[in-house]
Amino acid sequence: MLLGLIILYVVTLVYLPITERFRNYTLIIALQGWILLGIALLKLHSVNPWEMVFVVTETLVFKALIVPYILLRTIRRTKINRIAASGKSQFNALVLSIAALVASITVTYYIADPAMDIVFFGVALYALLSGLILVTVRKRIFSHMVGFLVLENGVFLFSIAVGVEMPVLINIAILLDILISVLMLGVFLTKIGGSMKNIDSDNLTSIKD
Amino acid sequence: MLAAYFILTVIFAAGVLIARRGRAMEWLCGVFYVLQAGFGVWVIASGLGQTQLDFFTFDVTGTLFFALMGIVAPVSFGYGLWYLDRETQGQRQLYNALLILLCGSLAGVYFSNNIAVSWIFLEATTLCTAGIIYHRRTPRSLEATWKYIFVCSVGIAVAYLGVLLFGGLSHGADLSYSGLAASVPSANPLFLQLAFVFIVAGYSCKLEVFPLYTIGVDANMAAPAPASALISTILVNGGFVSLFRVYRVMLNSEVAPWAANVLIVAGILSVLAGAVFMRRTNHFKRFLSYSTVENMGIALIALGLGGAAVFAAILHVAGHTLIKSVLFLQASRAGKSYGHYQVARMGGYMQVNRAGAVVFIVAGLMVLAFPPSPLFVSELLIFRQMAIQEKWLLLAVVVILLCSVMYNFARNIVRLCYNTPRTVPQREKTGYGLLVPALVLLGLAVLLGVFQPHWLTEWIHTAASAVQNIS
Repeated sequence: MLLGLIILYVVTLVYLPITERFRNYTLIIALQGWILLGIALLKLHSVNPWEMVFVVTETLVFKALIVPYILLRTIRRTKINRIAASGKSQFNALVLSIAALVASITVTYYIADPAMDIVFFGVALYALLSGLILVTVRKRIFSHMVGFLVLENGVFLFSIAVGVEMPVLINIAILLDILISVLMLGVFLTKIGGSMKNIDSDNLTSIKD
Repeated sequence: MLAAYFILTVIFAAGVLIARRGRAMEWLCGVFYVLQAGFGVWVIASGLGQTQLDFFTFDVTGTLFFALMGIVAPVSFGYGLWYLDRETQGQRQLYNALLILLCGSLAGVYFSNNIAVSWIFLEATTLCTAGIIYHRRTPRSLEATWKYIFVCSVGIAVAYLGVLLFGGLSHGADLSYSGLAASVPSANPLFLQLAFVFIVAGYSCKLEVFPLYTIGVDANMAAPAPASALISTILVNGGFVSLFRVYRVMLNSEVAPWAANVLIVAGILSVLAGAVFMRRTNHFKRFLSYSTVENMGIALIALGLGGAAVFAAILHVAGHTLIKSVLFLQASRAGKSYGHYQVARMGGYMQVNRAGAVVFIVAGLMVLAFPPSPLFVSELLIFRQMAIQEKWLLLAVVVILLCSVMYNFARNIVRLCYNTPRTVPQREKTGYGLLVPALVLLGLAVLLGVFQPHWLTEWIHTAASAVQNIS
């Protein structure tokens, strides 16, 4: 079951560079949220019940419900539909994504540390690189936002990889990071969408040397 | 007492937000900065050591940087009162409340003895700084704020991976720096290398060094100049303290020489970026920010070198805090006179504000490490350490890059002071009220360069010793 969820998670990461519709991005983020919820439930059953409740609630409420909802609302408000350029950027992103997958597998193979779950570590590293690729290859700010959320999900998976006994501090840290995600999504994306008709990162170039 | 400080920070920030009159807000801020300075004095007088809060320790490193914040922050606040004259009362309240919260968050970073707590407080500084950058509510400030939040969040998330990897060493049981230092000797080297790279890359957005240095430069450009004086000094110091503590942990591992090389490479690339972009930029505040990138690069190189250069790194960062804040604060006066910060259109500042121009020249020379600057002492020690370790190529590269920095810095200061201006500046009528605090900061920097009090050198030596002894 756990392995199935992990494989499904990897499939969402592979699908990420080839899709061009923002609605699909939102679906991927929502799906990742639910997969992470499943992983948290299966993996963290042995921890303190309160910590378990905290992590599961946080995953369910933020990652699986609130974040996808805000993304969908942003799509409706800004009436954006798909990434501006298609074809070449998808191909580049896919090549980079495969390279990231190979790099993640290689690093995981060499690290092979008993302190953590190797499968989780490799997938989390791949999620981190996938998020960074989305941020750097795509032009639209919405894609950057999704890239950041993918990266955040990778961080969450990472926290499960390095140890089941997560102290409360790590949970607070995750919550604080989610707070920033919501802040970025809710406040700044709508403000930027409101003040700039086209929300390409090309429009954000007034600050330069 | 530290808990009381944190609580007071929140109370004063809330008080500033709800104060109905401008005078009440100013009083509240003034009282906060006096209390903050008093707290710093109490920390020093009561002797350093463990606080009542488990995750914080009054160690020399944290106390030194807290003391610097206690000196620079009120001066920046005073300049802010004069600088923000076109804002509504609400905007000024929010700005000052965020400055207070930024100080509180940075105190948490300085005194934290736990890698996760340091990370949380660094994340909190992102929120405060973003609000300060958005202060003007213009499209440009919105762009800068978006970029700042986005890049810092990515950077901090990457750093968090490093924190988690370190957490994996102790199985999440003990994330204190001392606990991690005990765990790393037996750790997987690749594991440690990954963790350190993630943390250097992540914290670089706060430290204003390669690779994420650009975001600090953008932030300084968009934020009000008095706030830039803090972003470019005490916030950068927060990143430095956090990285310094992680580096101390790394020195207990077998990959310590590798970690030192990472710092040296990041430092060289930062100095290179500073040198190149100082020549290219036409915006005075960006130009000063690139100088910060260059100086923090030097500090990283010094940390990587080890030995006496570690003392030099801390002295360098401390001296830079005093001098760079003066340059930014004086830039706020010049920017106000010209109505912009475009160096090519500025000029003749000597006629606009003779005393201010002299401050620019003196502070400029000091940041370029001319005696009696403390940066002269620190850079001399760093070069000496390079010579002792026979790193001649590194020495040559750094010297060449610093010559380029020196030329570009001097060129822009001369243009500002003596060129014929292309926009007619307004003559400044602020008298000596703003000049005296800047002179006091410069005086303190000179004191640090010429006459280093025994207790202060002892402090810096103690802070540096953990690294010196090992490397």
